[in-house]
Amino acid sequence: MTHATTALLLTAPVAVPLAASAAHAAGGLRELRPHRRAAHALPRHSAGPVHRPPSPRAPAEPAQVTGPATGGPATGSAAAGPATGSGGPGVGPGGPATLTGGPRTEPPGPPPLGPDDPAAAPPPATGPHAPARTTGAWLGLVSPATILFCGAALATTVPQRGPVTAYGRLLRADALTVWLLLAVGAVAALACAANPAHLAHERADAGTARRYNLLIHAFLAAMSAAVLAANLGVLWIAIEATTIVTAFLVGHRRTRASVEAAWKYVVICSAGIGLAFLGTVLLYYAARQAGIPEASALDWATLATHADHFDPAVTRLAMSLIVLGFGTKAGLAPLHAWLPDAHSQAPAPVSALMSGVLLSVAFAGLLRYKTVADAALGAGFTRTLLAGAALLTLALAALLLLVQRDYKRMLAYSSMEHMSLIALGTAIGTPLAVSAALLHIAGHGLVKTVAFCASGHILRIRRTARIGRVRGLLAEAPALGVGFGLAVVALLGLPPFSLFASELGLARAGFAAHHSGVAAVALLFVLVSFAALVSRTARMVLGPPPEPEAVADGPVRLGVVAAAPLVTGLVAAAALGVTTGPLTRLLSAAGEIVGRH
Amino acid sequence: MNDSVYTQLLDLACGAFLLAAVVVLWLRQLSSIIRVFALQGAVLAALAALLGVREGRWDLLAVAVGIGLLRAGALPHIVRRALAAGTPPPARHYEEDNSEAREARPLVNVAASLIGAALLTLLAYAVARPLVELDPTPATRALPVGLAVVLIGFFTLVTRRRALAQVVGFLLLDNGITATAFLAASGVPLIVELGVSFDVLLAVLVLQILTTRMRAAFGGTGIDDLRELRD
Amino acid sequence: MNSAEHAAVLASGLAGVGALAGALLPGRVRVIAVGLCTAGLGGAGLAAGLLATGGGHWTAHLPGLLPMAGVYLAVDALSGLFMAVAGAVVLAVAVYGTGYARGPHAGGVASRGVQCALPLFALTLVLVPAAASVSTLLLLWEVMALTSLLLVLADQRERASVRDAGIWYAVMTHLGLVLLLAGLALFAACAGGETFTALRAGASGLSPTARGTVFVLVAAAFASKAGMVPLHPWLPRAHPEAPSNVSALMSAAMVNLGAYGIIRVAFDLLGGAPRWGWVLVLAVGALSAVYGILQAAMASDLKRLLAYSTSENLGLVLIGVGAAGLFASSGHPVPAALALAAALLHITNHAVFKALLFCAAGSVARATGVRDLDRMGGLRARMPATTGFFAVAALGAIALPPGNGFLSEWLLLQSLINGLTVPGVTAAIVLPLAVAVIALSAGLAAAVFVKALGVGFFARPRSAGAAAATESPPGMLVGMGLLAAGCTGLALVPGMLGNGLSRAVAVAGLRGGPPLSGNGFELRLDRLAASMSPLWVAAALTAGLLAAGTLIRLTARRGRRSGVRLWDCGGGAPTPRMSYTATSFAEPLQRVFDDVLAPEQDVDVTPVRESAYLVERVRFRRAVPDRIEHRVYRPALAALARIGQGARRLATGSVHLYLGYGFFGLVAVLLALAVGW
Repeated sequence: MTHATTALLLTAPVAVPLAASAAHAAGGLRELRPHRRAAHALPRHSAGPVHRPPSPRAPAEPAQVTGPATGGPATGSAAAGPATGSGGPGVGPGGPATLTGGPRTEPPGPPPLGPDDPAAAPPPATGPHAPARTTGAWLGLVSPATILFCGAALATTVPQRGPVTAYGRLLRADALTVWLLLAVGAVAALACAANPAHLAHERADAGTARRYNLLIHAFLAAMSAAVLAANLGVLWIAIEATTIVTAFLVGHRRTRASVEAAWKYVVICSAGIGLAFLGTVLLYYAARQAGIPEASALDWATLATHADHFDPAVTRLAMSLIVLGFGTKAGLAPLHAWLPDAHSQAPAPVSALMSGVLLSVAFAGLLRYKTVADAALGAGFTRTLLAGAALLTLALAALLLLVQRDYKRMLAYSSMEHMSLIALGTAIGTPLAVSAALLHIAGHGLVKTVAFCASGHILRIRRTARIGRVRGLLAEAPALGVGFGLAVVALLGLPPFSLFASELGLARAGFAAHHSGVAAVALLFVLVSFAALVSRTARMVLGPPPEPEAVADGPVRLGVVAAAPLVTGLVAAAALGVTTGPLTRLLSAAGEIVGRH
Repeated sequence: MNDSVYTQLLDLACGAFLLAAVVVLWLRQLSSIIRVFALQGAVLAALAALLGVREGRWDLLAVAVGIGLLRAGALPHIVRRALAAGTPPPARHYEEDNSEAREARPLVNVAASLIGAALLTLLAYAVARPLVELDPTPATRALPVGLAVVLIGFFTLVTRRRALAQVVGFLLLDNGITATAFLAASGVPLIVELGVSFDVLLAVLVLQILTTRMRAAFGGTGIDDLRELRD
Repeated sequence: MNSAEHAAVLASGLAGVGALAGALLPGRVRVIAVGLCTAGLGGAGLAAGLLATGGGHWTAHLPGLLPMAGVYLAVDALSGLFMAVAGAVVLAVAVYGTGYARGPHAGGVASRGVQCALPLFALTLVLVPAAASVSTLLLLWEVMALTSLLLVLADQRERASVRDAGIWYAVMTHLGLVLLLAGLALFAACAGGETFTALRAGASGLSPTARGTVFVLVAAAFASKAGMVPLHPWLPRAHPEAPSNVSALMSAAMVNLGAYGIIRVAFDLLGGAPRWGWVLVLAVGALSAVYGILQAAMASDLKRLLAYSTSENLGLVLIGVGAAGLFASSGHPVPAALALAAALLHITNHAVFKALLFCAAGSVARATGVRDLDRMGGLRARMPATTGFFAVAALGAIALPPGNGFLSEWLLLQSLINGLTVPGVTAAIVLPLAVAVIALSAGLAAAVFVKALGVGFFARPRSAGAAAATESPPGMLVGMGLLAAGCTGLALVPGMLGNGLSRAVAVAGLRGGPPLSGNGFELRLDRLAASMSPLWVAAALTAGLLAAGTLIRLTARRGRRSGVRLWDCGGGAPTPRMSYTATSFAEPLQRVFDDVLAPEQDVDVTPVRESAYLVERVRFRRAVPDRIEHRVYRPALAALARIGQGARRLATGSVHLYLGYGFFGLVAVLLALAVGW
């Protein structure tokens, strides 16, 4: 593959989503200008996401037009991406207007909504670009498709020829990167395919939809950058950028619960990721003291080869902070508590993206540091840290699943459980275990997306997020009941879905590496969460319909557009569970990178 | 400059840095806290400038200027504005509605906080021993201060009951990390430093916007109101 | 590929076609198509199994399937026997199912999900004995669990108890899987490979602790699948709620795989287990046999009765397996081989008569709409064919000649009694107890099935549903007829299995020559100089009955038969509801075993509103709960719920708490590092 093609394949996953995001921002800018003249009394349609009549109790907030010094958060992550560095500040002014225009038009008039009551009164669609918005939403599939395509193209050469780099080792793709790109692309494709239905149900006006799409694409760009980064500092920046971008996606619905969830999310994740940066700094210090020049002291490939000269004590301190810090973003204890709140309050496609790939991408970042630390310290230290965090998280998730009353929180705790299994796999450390963990990342991403998208539809149909109030889903909406039921069956680790193969591989690897105690304890907790999930899902899905008269004229139909992502995700997970086919070599190569005998 | 002047100035800056963090723990008025935080930002910029002058690196001086602008200028300004937005102007002359602007009932009282800060500083000194032993220069000998401020910042983050005080705690944490980076290895590569600064700025902006939304939804920025999402 | 392999491939293909047909075809065609495919699958499985017991082995390796593991299949005589049994049961039940799932009473059985899962379930029943690596076994085991769960939940729209039964079934199956996974993964780790050949080769290198742990974990998992006490609560819950063809498949083919697993792992792969392990297996089998048949004696729900009877029969099988292991570990292969052969023969016999019992119970439930024996009755005149089939199967279950259960229990007793010559204190204590248990359970089984047959089918109908019953459609009758033919064949011509059994026993590594030989009508135990010819016994019995009947007919008084009204104690004409019911039949037994059963009794008196001395309504409720479920499972579940409620304090919603976790984690790690970790 030529150098130019490589560079293109490595840049496109970051550049295309950024361009899409910028396009949405530019669309907002274009819309904003005509409205600036008729500013005062009319509530802003495009700039104000929540369209409520101004109440007399509105506080006299001074006009907050922030200057162009503060670029929109979506384009801020451009600082990391080299190709679009120049495009960043240019589209600055469009961003903040849509963001800070929001609080201005939101008087505290209407009573705040309860946590389990979704947006009960969606604002009417007053945006003038409704048909264009629909096509714009479908164009949103371009970014995930690009990521998937680049991942597939790289998958044909990287396992044989080894890692490829571009821009003088600024971007790098080895087998681990390619596997994660494929996972991110697949999950993003499913989630973005579910976006139009979600936005249509919310009856979001053009401004809200535009802001939502802008943030989603920026999110995808940040995740691709985190996966493709060759420099550990750039990796950190991309992961921090994902926190910032998703903060407003989590708080999208403007309810009390969403604000609470967004606050907890940003504060806990920022604290955690700050600790991770401290760890990175200390690692940089150790690298500089070992004689590596400044330009490549944070370059992963250099660190991985030269790490045996690092001072062990400093590396230990750095690695502890990194496990704590990146573990926060990956949902591992002790800073895990943001996860159920954020994933239950975010809109369904966003929860799907966060649960499906953000946790995994953050964990993959942790894996990069792990290879460096293992070279410096031997595998024992990180293994103890990771295994401890993983078992603690698994215990918490299993026990709290026993008392769940909200199904989106239930799915979020299930994500914690699966992330802890992935962490255990990497803690065990053999190539079989790491390959199983990577397969688990892919399979879990696909299936969790289906589960969250289905839960979004359940929320739409039943208007409640409580498990106790949802009954007879299979009778009332068969396609949705089957989709949700199969997604939970897959999450429980039953064949033919790939989570069965990966959990089997993890267990075999655990016993084979003589960590029988850890594996046995993990299996026990997995059994407890199995029991909790099965009983709750059975109560939701099975049984007669709650109002037989309502289904007398036929069950609720999901529609092809809404059902397609669900079906595709389940089929892909089942196919992955039957055989990895052309991806086998990629998977084993990725396992070799992280795993050690 | 010669070594002893440099060492004394360095120690002075680090001492002021740590003192600012402890004072933040002690104060209760949010406006005062923000002022002390801005001061700490200026001290951090001075620290970076000192290191730059010592090693004769122009880029480090430029970074110091940037840090000063950001952490002593932009960030306190944003937080101050968020504070002002929440405090309505006094209705009558002697009446002031102070609930938003001060920490009314701290989670951990002041005496215990100060003792905690002292213990955390001791812990930072103990933990940083291998760091200092690896490369014993005057700068690295001051490393424990950076770690102490990190821990004190985290402690502030955990124990404050006002949203903006939590923001200041997070910024203290970040200041501590930046100080550690400068003291240990004269900063991180430029592109990483730029990215980190940008990220911190955006994070504070996000927190400010969330504070406004919180005020609108909950009628105040008390963290204890955020208890509706639970199991 | 030899013909056995051809048959297996054909079976898999038919399963795929059947699943697609079940998912895609509309209503009436769906049931027939799926029934045909499943029947074909069963036939292919039967053929493959028979060929394998006849000496044809094959192996297959599919490296592309199942990521990171690959699929390994291998068939020898032992697995061939189980495949044949499963195939035969699947064939007959599939034919039965085409009739059962049609018509207005079908309910959930005819739905797409159930009909799609049915051929897949049947395929796993046939293929699990063919698994030749840990991953393949677990894959097929889990597919079996999932498909059977979907089948158990077939009627979930009609009754809420179906959903609860499904949850219990799913969780207990997963518990079994976890134990199995732990045991087999430990075995594979110690032996250095996960295929069965690698396990066999590496088994000699296992330390005694590892061997014991592997044995206990694997035996517990397989015992749970076989419905052994105390891991049995799923059995009496799932069987009544599942449709009858599914119950037949589960009881007649799925529980056998529990016994298969123990035989395969303990005898073949591990190469022998410690003696205490075999005593444990024997004890568990004996306990389940007695407990199962007692609970069956108390049950008045017909399908619950049959489910507990399954538990009892598998308990007898495990007694045989345990005894075989005990003899083998003390170096006496001849009685060991005989005991194992008896266990295998009992599995075969039990499969056929239990399938027939469930099919007949299903046809009764479908025709009358009730499952409760107390509400049936009078079915002999209305459903003569079903009554006949039930009687044939009950004869087999009672284990008296000329039923087919007799032969296997006779063999089992022969092996245990002859095994009394084995020296050793353990054998001297355990074996007579086992013989006593077998005798007790046989006696109670007789009571149980006389109750089931008599109370359920004879006398007058005790409810409107029973009075309105009509005979089942021909599809169901053909299926039941096939099974009845199997019962009769096994009863009268046992020798046809003789060589197959010997080869299967040889796979288990028990040297000592074939324990059985037969020339069709006679079964000879060469080493023990005993033989049995059921045909002669049956002939003798028939002759005796004919003689007795003729004698009675000749000496009967001729004369006018006068009709007289029954004495009714002056209380009015007796209604059919006052006749002898299942509960009253079981009451003496319940008194005898009161300490074990601990029935619950509840009297609820509702007085008239105006005066407390006048009674408006009295409600009497008695239930014989599953005592182990009450004493062991409910407290455990309650404790788990309490722990969960306590864990809620970990997620109170306070940001201070959440950040505090992180802070304390950080400080703890830093302290550990400072101290010098």
